[in-house]
Amino acid sequence: MRLVIARCSVDYAGRLSAHLPMAVRLLMVKADGCVAVHADGGAYKPLNWMNAPNTLTERDGEWVVRNPKGETLTITIEEILSDSAWELGPDPGLQKDGVEAHLQELLAANPHTIETGLVLVRREHATDIGPVDLLCRDAGGVAVAIEVKRRGEIDGVEQLTRYLERMDLDPLLRPVRGVFVAQQIKPQARVLAESRGIICVEIDYDELRGIESAELRLF
Amino acid sequence: MKFRCERDVLIEALNNAGRAVSSRGGSLPVLSGVRLELRGNALTVTGSDLDLTITMSTTVHGEADGVTVLPSKLASDIVRALEPGRVDVEVAGDEANITSGRSQFAVRAIPATEFPRITEPEGEELALDGAALAHGLRQVVSAASTDESRSAILTGVLMAAEASGLRLVATDSYRLAVRDLSSTSFLQEGQSVLVPSNALKELARLLGDGDTVRLRLGDRDAAFTVGDTTLITRLISGEFPNYRNLIPKNQPACLTVARASLLESVKRMKVVAKEPSTPVKLDMSNDGLKLTVNAQDIGSAAEELDAKYEGPELTVAFNPEYLVAGLDAAEGDEVTLECIDALKPALLRSLGNTEFLYLLMPVRVS
Repeated sequence: MRLVIARCSVDYAGRLSAHLPMAVRLLMVKADGCVAVHADGGAYKPLNWMNAPNTLTERDGEWVVRNPKGETLTITIEEILSDSAWELGPDPGLQKDGVEAHLQELLAANPHTIETGLVLVRREHATDIGPVDLLCRDAGGVAVAIEVKRRGEIDGVEQLTRYLERMDLDPLLRPVRGVFVAQQIKPQARVLAESRGIICVEIDYDELRGIESAELRLF
Repeated sequence: MKFRCERDVLIEALNNAGRAVSSRGGSLPVLSGVRLELRGNALTVTGSDLDLTITMSTTVHGEADGVTVLPSKLASDIVRALEPGRVDVEVAGDEANITSGRSQFAVRAIPATEFPRITEPEGEELALDGAALAHGLRQVVSAASTDESRSAILTGVLMAAEASGLRLVATDSYRLAVRDLSSTSFLQEGQSVLVPSNALKELARLLGDGDTVRLRLGDRDAAFTVGDTTLITRLISGEFPNYRNLIPKNQPACLTVARASLLESVKRMKVVAKEPSTPVKLDMSNDGLKLTVNAQDIGSAAEELDAKYEGPELTVAFNPEYLVAGLDAAEGDEVTLECIDALKPALLRSLGNTEFLYLLMPVRVS
């Protein structure tokens, strides 16, 4: 990653032409060849940029970045204030928190957090129209089909309804109760679910992961 | 079924049994009702949510035996609304007629066959001192959790046999209450049971001074009988937290203060600390005790109290609700509050009384 702070002007020529007048800017040249021109504002978005693949030609006081389409980014440099390069190494990638698979895994390990007395029968219980996330039995031995979502919306309720219809055909399972679990359930989804006898449960992902809250506890 | 009785007799039976009626509704609609069974002049009224069952027997003037289930709240509201005096109840088919004076109500009955059969545990019947038990329960039950979704175990009160007698323990993870009842014991050495706190709240409510509790203990349930009322509760299975390790042995700071003064002062602070998350700060020094509350967007409050303090100057903040509960539960004129630092549990005791302790976790403040 090369980072150059320079007083420069920038001209883009391609589908249209654009000009950035002379000012101090950050020129970012990434290892993959991308070149971006940033001002001290505008959040993550560069003022101008050119994605890889491209070729960067450095001349005295001028950089020219050209891509295979013939578009060019010409950076005219009046003064370089800082020029540094860093080896960042391979990036592990963005790990999104709270994905459904992790939620499902946590809930499978702790079904009682959904409902007291709930015992897991299996994850990804197969039906002839697809797998329901969790199959459990409640304290009374009744089969419970659980669909887990990050955000509880109407689609998820419809999906669970279809699973319940199929599972109710199985004499070893019926009657099957439905529980719709999400970090947050939209009011419309809740109304639809409850009108179909499906229980809605909102779960606290942080608490489920055992993340320490600001509250002090004895244990 | 046909009987008559005084209105207040029927109100008491319906109210007592109705306290166990399921408020959740759900899978068994019959559980929203109370079961009335008449045999001769003995009327038995039962309410249940399957976890807790309360049955009250009372004497009425019976005319025709029978069994029915009436919607609990409706029946109770009707009878309570009647003028004092005689009430006649007659059930024919699926309709119950409740008559008093010139008032007449017809209520749709629920088929009694749908009401679940509740069996009492078969253990040996033991007699307990009701007054001591009620007293102990009132001191610890409030420390149990009411949040079933977090942990069912924490919604229970541990009743454990100790060398000195019976020990009651409850915790919601923010506080812990322990009460030893030296005069009471019904468990074998080393034995313990975990009883739902809501059942014990009902038991404490039923108990008056001088009452004796008759107890039958089964593997999965327990029955407590007080006079004409029997309360059957499921026991909670699972391992109660190892509370003994939580109780600190040595605390360098000890505040001794008049219990009533501190209790009233914290209650005054609570007026400003309307949100439970707003803590009350206790500044402890050789000069005494200063309580302060700062509630953003509301205001602040401060109060100084005479107190004896030994230890380094210390500021500790607590949830005022929990502090009030502990001070309420502790007895005696003076209490001690023993602390280690602002983030470690504080031990509240009645001065000179080793039978009750209340361990309270502070609140982190900046």
